[in-house]
Amino acid sequence: MAPSNDLKTILSKLQFPDDAQVMRQIVDQTLQVKMRMGRIKRKIVVMSGKGGVGKSMTTVNLALAFARRGQTVGVLDVDLNGPCVPKMLGMSGRRFEITPDGAAPPVGPLGILVASMDFFLRGHDPVRWKGSMELSPVWLGMLEMNVIREFLADIAWGELDLLLADLPPGAAADKPPAIANFLPELDGAVVVTTPSEVTTDVVRKSVLYARDVGIPVIGLIENMSGYHCPQCGHESDLFVGNVESVAADLDVPLLGKIPFDRELSQRCDGGRPMLESAQPIAKRFDDVAQRIVDCLNFRQIVADTL
Amino acid sequence: MKFVCLNCETFMLFQKVEKPGEGALGVEFLCPTCKARFSMVTNPGETQMVQALGVKIGGRTTAPEAFELTRDTLKDGAECPVPAFSAAAGRAPAEAPSSGDATGGSCPFSSMVASMGASQGAEGQERLAASGRESGPALRPASSDSSAGLEWSAEALDRLAKIPDFVRPTVRAEVEAYARKSGESFVTQAMIDHYKGTTAELAWTPEASKRLENIPFFIRPMAKKEIERMAREQGRAEVTADMMDHAKTAFAKFMGG
Repeated sequence: MAPSNDLKTILSKLQFPDDAQVMRQIVDQTLQVKMRMGRIKRKIVVMSGKGGVGKSMTTVNLALAFARRGQTVGVLDVDLNGPCVPKMLGMSGRRFEITPDGAAPPVGPLGILVASMDFFLRGHDPVRWKGSMELSPVWLGMLEMNVIREFLADIAWGELDLLLADLPPGAAADKPPAIANFLPELDGAVVVTTPSEVTTDVVRKSVLYARDVGIPVIGLIENMSGYHCPQCGHESDLFVGNVESVAADLDVPLLGKIPFDRELSQRCDGGRPMLESAQPIAKRFDDVAQRIVDCLNFRQIVADTL
Repeated sequence: MKFVCLNCETFMLFQKVEKPGEGALGVEFLCPTCKARFSMVTNPGETQMVQALGVKIGGRTTAPEAFELTRDTLKDGAECPVPAFSAAAGRAPAEAPSSGDATGGSCPFSSMVASMGASQGAEGQERLAASGRESGPALRPASSDSSAGLEWSAEALDRLAKIPDFVRPTVRAEVEAYARKSGESFVTQAMIDHYKGTTAELAWTPEASKRLENIPFFIRPMAKKEIERMAREQGRAEVTADMMDHAKTAFAKFMGG
């Protein structure tokens, strides 16, 4: 029997069902993320367009600063291919516990909950995916987005005051919009920079990009801002930069400047984080945390002080 | 992707998924009328692409488990203890797959394209035709906010192009935000003019400036911007002490005070 109608006519008569249940599953996945994220009061991403500026170090120390304030904090290490948050918190080799309620994240110093790809890997093994993922950047990107979605959907964080997400370097690519889509109530992004024109040029782009995709920028943190001498405690410029003018140009608050500190660096490498505010560098992070809180509550402060 | 039996003018029914070889996938379909059957076969690369979507074709047959995609897709296996259990509490419920309904079978790609792509394009063209305000192609903004769906007239885009690169994305975002607030889905030259009128420099009285100084310095720019926005909304050309009182009340009200 020969077909009597063309395809357009045939399709106009038919209803399009989802009996492969793909859309249904995607909706379920989205609901699952919403359910998990709905139990978290504040969600902040730490990002920078530039690699090597200290995003993970900043994330870890901000998490510690918020934990010192008595908050329940979670850290999500979104850098799938170069996860280093567990090492900095002395949590290498730990594992998720898969439970009926989801994956229970390991508990680190000061009760910080941590989720990282590192918890799936053996020793120093890199992330390797099955099949042709390693051959196709398009497919790899799609897979990584779904892995990030699983990190948001499947981790049983419980009730949290704050979730800090450490984004991978080169974050002005595909991750921020995906994260923003996964986290519709994202409170904003903290952008890390260093005193270098090359870095600030890239950071400018990532701030504009973040705004483009609807991520509110809470403010800038300048890392490696000077050198803190371990002998005499004197602080001097390590590089030349002008983060104040960058912040003014971009119309974003400057949350703080973190000097290069040898002890902090060694502690991060050794997985011995600064737990108390005794050291001046830890106090700096406490101050930055306070400013983040103030920025998030700025309307209240304005109402109180105007 | 979806299959249509041209003879019977109906969608083929999804029947089952098979794994005929290493990395391959076979998805069987049946015409509900003439009972013709055939199988769509994917190669390992295509199979991986489907898996990367994180969905099961035909629906789930088992309750979801935490990190199943990540654990299944890591080449060397995931270093993660998985105790034996079947139900994943606290998750969206899974249902057994149906074998299709009377209208035919389906596949991930077709569902997604149908739901996300084709209709948007048609709607956009209809909006453009209906607007009839300015000539030129209507383009989608770079913003990923698909809910915005704003179109720009060619003339408006020309004007946007004259703005320096550095501030262009910010201006575009602000114009679009202004357009959305005004209930418009089409950005025209007139709208840009109107937006410009709302961004004109505002004067500050000395008293208002002094009160602004009370706000901590690092959030002062944010506060200033908000207060100026409120002043513009009220059609003011100057920020006065009276305006500051109004802003204080508005901020307190916003915070539930």
